[in-house]
Amino acid sequence: MRCLLASAAGLFGVLAVSLSLGEGRGDPRAHWVYRAPVRADLPSCAGESGSAIDALVRARLLDAGLAPAAPATRLELIRRVTFDLTGLPPTLDEIDAFLADERPDAFERVVDRLLASPRYGERRAQHWLDVVRFAETEGFEYDRVIPGLWRYRDWVIRALNDDMPFDRFAVMQIAGDELGSGEDTRDDSRDASAENGHLVAAGFHRLGPVRRNAGNQEVASSRNEVLTERTDAIGTVFLGLTIGCARCHDHKFDAISQRDYYRLQAYVAATREHDVMLASDEARAAWKARQDAVTAEIEKIKKALDDATGEAETALRRRLAAAEKRLPRPLPTVATIRDEDRTPIHVLERGDWERKGDAVGARVPAVLLASEDTPELPADVERPRTHLARWIADPANPLTARVIANRVWQHHLGHGLVGTPNDFGVNGDLPSHPELLDRLALELIRHGWRLKSLHRAIVVSDVYRQSVRAASPAVAALARERDPDNRLLWRFNRRRLHAEELRDAMLAVAGVLDTRMFGKSVIVPVEDELVELLYKPSQWEVTPARREHLRRSIYLFAKRNLRLPFMEVFDLPDQQTSCARRESSTHAPQALELLNGRLSNELAAAFARRLEREAGEDDGERVRLAYRLATGRPPTAQELALGVAFLEQGSMKELALAIFNLNAFLHVD
Amino acid sequence: MSTETVNPRPHHRLTRNRREFVRDAFCGFGSLALASMLHDERLRAGEHAGTAGLHPANGPAKAVIFLFMAGGPSHIETFDPKPLLDRLHGQRRPREFGEAKYQFVEKNAKLLGTRRTFKRYGAEGIEVSDLFPNVGTCIDDIAVLRSCHGDMVVHSAAQYELFSGRITPGFPSMGSWIVYGLGSESRSLPSYVVMPDPDGALEAGQPMYANGFLPARFQPTMLRAGDTPIRNLALPRGVTLAERRRTLELIDRLNRANPAPEDDDLAARMEAYDLAFRLQTEAPQVFDLSRESPETLELYGVGVEPTNDYGRRCLLARRLVEHGVRFVCVVSGGGPGTLQWDAHKDIEENHVRMAAQTDRPIAGLLRDLKRRGLLDETLVLWGGEFGRSPEAQGGRGRDHHNLGFTMWMAGGGVRGGQTVGSTDAIGLRAVERPYHLRDIHTTILHQLGLDQTELTYPHLGRDERLTLVEGKVIREIVG
Repeated sequence: MRCLLASAAGLFGVLAVSLSLGEGRGDPRAHWVYRAPVRADLPSCAGESGSAIDALVRARLLDAGLAPAAPATRLELIRRVTFDLTGLPPTLDEIDAFLADERPDAFERVVDRLLASPRYGERRAQHWLDVVRFAETEGFEYDRVIPGLWRYRDWVIRALNDDMPFDRFAVMQIAGDELGSGEDTRDDSRDASAENGHLVAAGFHRLGPVRRNAGNQEVASSRNEVLTERTDAIGTVFLGLTIGCARCHDHKFDAISQRDYYRLQAYVAATREHDVMLASDEARAAWKARQDAVTAEIEKIKKALDDATGEAETALRRRLAAAEKRLPRPLPTVATIRDEDRTPIHVLERGDWERKGDAVGARVPAVLLASEDTPELPADVERPRTHLARWIADPANPLTARVIANRVWQHHLGHGLVGTPNDFGVNGDLPSHPELLDRLALELIRHGWRLKSLHRAIVVSDVYRQSVRAASPAVAALARERDPDNRLLWRFNRRRLHAEELRDAMLAVAGVLDTRMFGKSVIVPVEDELVELLYKPSQWEVTPARREHLRRSIYLFAKRNLRLPFMEVFDLPDQQTSCARRESSTHAPQALELLNGRLSNELAAAFARRLEREAGEDDGERVRLAYRLATGRPPTAQELALGVAFLEQGSMKELALAIFNLNAFLHVD
Repeated sequence: MSTETVNPRPHHRLTRNRREFVRDAFCGFGSLALASMLHDERLRAGEHAGTAGLHPANGPAKAVIFLFMAGGPSHIETFDPKPLLDRLHGQRRPREFGEAKYQFVEKNAKLLGTRRTFKRYGAEGIEVSDLFPNVGTCIDDIAVLRSCHGDMVVHSAAQYELFSGRITPGFPSMGSWIVYGLGSESRSLPSYVVMPDPDGALEAGQPMYANGFLPARFQPTMLRAGDTPIRNLALPRGVTLAERRRTLELIDRLNRANPAPEDDDLAARMEAYDLAFRLQTEAPQVFDLSRESPETLELYGVGVEPTNDYGRRCLLARRLVEHGVRFVCVVSGGGPGTLQWDAHKDIEENHVRMAAQTDRPIAGLLRDLKRRGLLDETLVLWGGEFGRSPEAQGGRGRDHHNLGFTMWMAGGGVRGGQTVGSTDAIGLRAVERPYHLRDIHTTILHQLGLDQTELTYPHLGRDERLTLVEGKVIREIVG
């Protein structure tokens, strides 16, 4: 019946739904996200695919008087899905195999191959690292490296490749250290629990920026900053709630009160940094001896510096820098946390640590409890975060599954069903397709929280497989008026490659990508001027093996105070706060980077050598190969002619550079 | 759902309808960059939409030059004379002045008088110390804000607050906000430029100047010393301009051979290549100081020490705003604390040296802007992330101090020749008309014709803005 409602109300489909969901604004409990997901009946006008996704999207589209786009071509599809699931372009063999596969489930087979590829975890991990604001240094003045934090990144990649159930994935990050290796392991013997996985995962609590400074210490103030970071991260990442807003005072209409906020903070009140050394006793003793010796020398120089000026000071500074270089490398370490020495938690007036109100204990927000009278956990409760983690991972929690399902949807379709993926609260956007979001969440839980099942359901849908071009000019004209942001999905959203995808694709196309996985992060060379802008230039110690510089971007060192300029111009998130959705801006420094930058010119030269090597002497063949590698399709006759004409005068390297600068390379249709 | 109501909580996000309207109109799906790009054109045509991201430039100021005295210059040694402090030299702070927290100085520290002498300048006889004799002669254009205060007493956090209004990294700097709000006027230069001190970096590092969660289009361009001030502006070795022109032509033709007419982003990308080429060919002329007269060079102290470096950068700042750059930050101080204004050890030695490098260039900049008619539309801000303690550190130095210190503004519609507010008799605390750093931000936005509550960007469930909670416009000095 819904299909017949393509009436005036249907024209404003999004708005109509919003109105019903926004009812009861005065009572936060009535807000849609605090109610359990509902499995709605599918509309009768579902497409032939039988997919719930297609049925629910199509119903809204038809309601609005719009129509879905035609299916994308096979060439478009394989490039699209390969980038989406692995962050890399398809190889020529993969393209050819798909084109030649006439079986009806040829595309599903491609999807299954990609989901099983180790590259899948490397790509999907990047999205997660954005959300948890992963970086390997503390930020602020010292921007110290947190030794071994790269293991957290590797753990995420492994967990995703192993398709670790998302509830488990959440529990391990929130409370892995409390669980210990003997607890709650269920059927994860084959997954990322190996090698201290539970401790590594809890490194989640170490990811925020940390302010340290010399001199008088405001211990309570610094502690408050740390606890605030840890509390807000849990809210943003797992619950999709911007609870930090409640830190200073209650907000009208908001479901999370100030007291709720500090009750959440009480769960992490005992968390303290904990670095677990993995080295043997002897190795540790030797390390300590050297560390103590050099530290003593450094202290001596620093003392001398107090009274030195002029040339004497310069000489001492040189000695200091030299001594600092002799400090031993950190021993293999796991950066994690543990519970000890619980900080008493109070409601803080205006969030000010000096204005303490009532003491509170751990409890989840009232809006998510059956009764306001639910008691707080006692202050001495064992494993407090395990309580929180189990509540978050409970299938009955109305937030967790919806929040992750929405993130996955956004990564594939370009826009979340909820447009504010880190804020499902009363101030966030309302879902464009509430029934669909609920169904995705319920299906995820039904499939044992396995994310690969969710990815698969989305990318094999007709919605995902439609073209970037509207069904007809008439639909396009109508849609631009009624749904200019394409929330109803009358076509697929073209997107620019993310910074990491772009660099990885350039490496892959040039034929020099090093696909070795895991391990200590790689530091690539950058201009001296940038290193000199570091407070301690010695912190940028380039990885000596040049081959390492060609590894995937996810393995590059993530330093808060020196972000790779190449990545920065292409909207790398700032890694200071959670990033739920990447910006995709367009500006002249991007063009300068791709035209004049060292990376693109070096890789263009490698790409040119590859073309000469693999395509033989014929310029036409070279242009053809360049297009196929970089854009996934052969050039049109006009493109071919332009390329060949250019090569009469221009160099192969400049042609290769031009290819890196093409819209057809930088964007995915 | 309620509609256009204003939320009672000033820093809470706007209501949904309003917010979605703003975002959908200008920020949806990567079209923001395009919007800003088109904005340049619209500004020229006198067209505007009057909402976030597309503000009309209708304030008196069109550009800002921030003379950032990194490390924290002492108010007591510069613009805020404290005779009582000299008399109390060597004593403990009298109890009636209250408590203060310092990074290093302990509770029992002794007060430190100043060796500076002050002289009255201008029509109002405003006192300026002998560290700034040249700036003193410009005092009729300067509004001295003697009652500034901030929240943090350590460099990194205080520097973040000075630039972004927050004590943690990850929030856009005022330069990024301003460019986001006003767009660029220049077709061949970046719109937000930072000129760091070649002596080295600062505690807060690059995130201090950065665009935070704003799109990369609003990131600062760091100008480096030497022949290639802007990254990637020079052609790669072995490539000629003619060759590169052919490559650009090829890119353009190939892109046009396969058009996607309904996609604004693709069109914007093609335009970015035009801009990049103009940047490459036109910007070097702006950086070329040899086009200036010997008289002008001398005005800034270019070619003589110790003013050569800061003078060159101040002169370049003038050339940049002349060519439509919106926000220029000229940093004095970098590297170890002794090479900043961070005078822990010896306030005399440090401040005499740092002031000697900057006094003449700053005065030169103000005079030069004025005689070219640029001062009226260029707001010049002077100051550091905090001031320095009335107490001595280690006998001759002063510690950080955030409870009361001096900044000043000139130009951009600011009424000069006056002092605003005051600290107590020993320079410890802003007591009369105290102005927080966010009030400085609010006033700058106001002079640029930007409203702090309108200039917002959605991030993590909030419509964030530069001023966090509402700041005050410093009414004494504007309009």
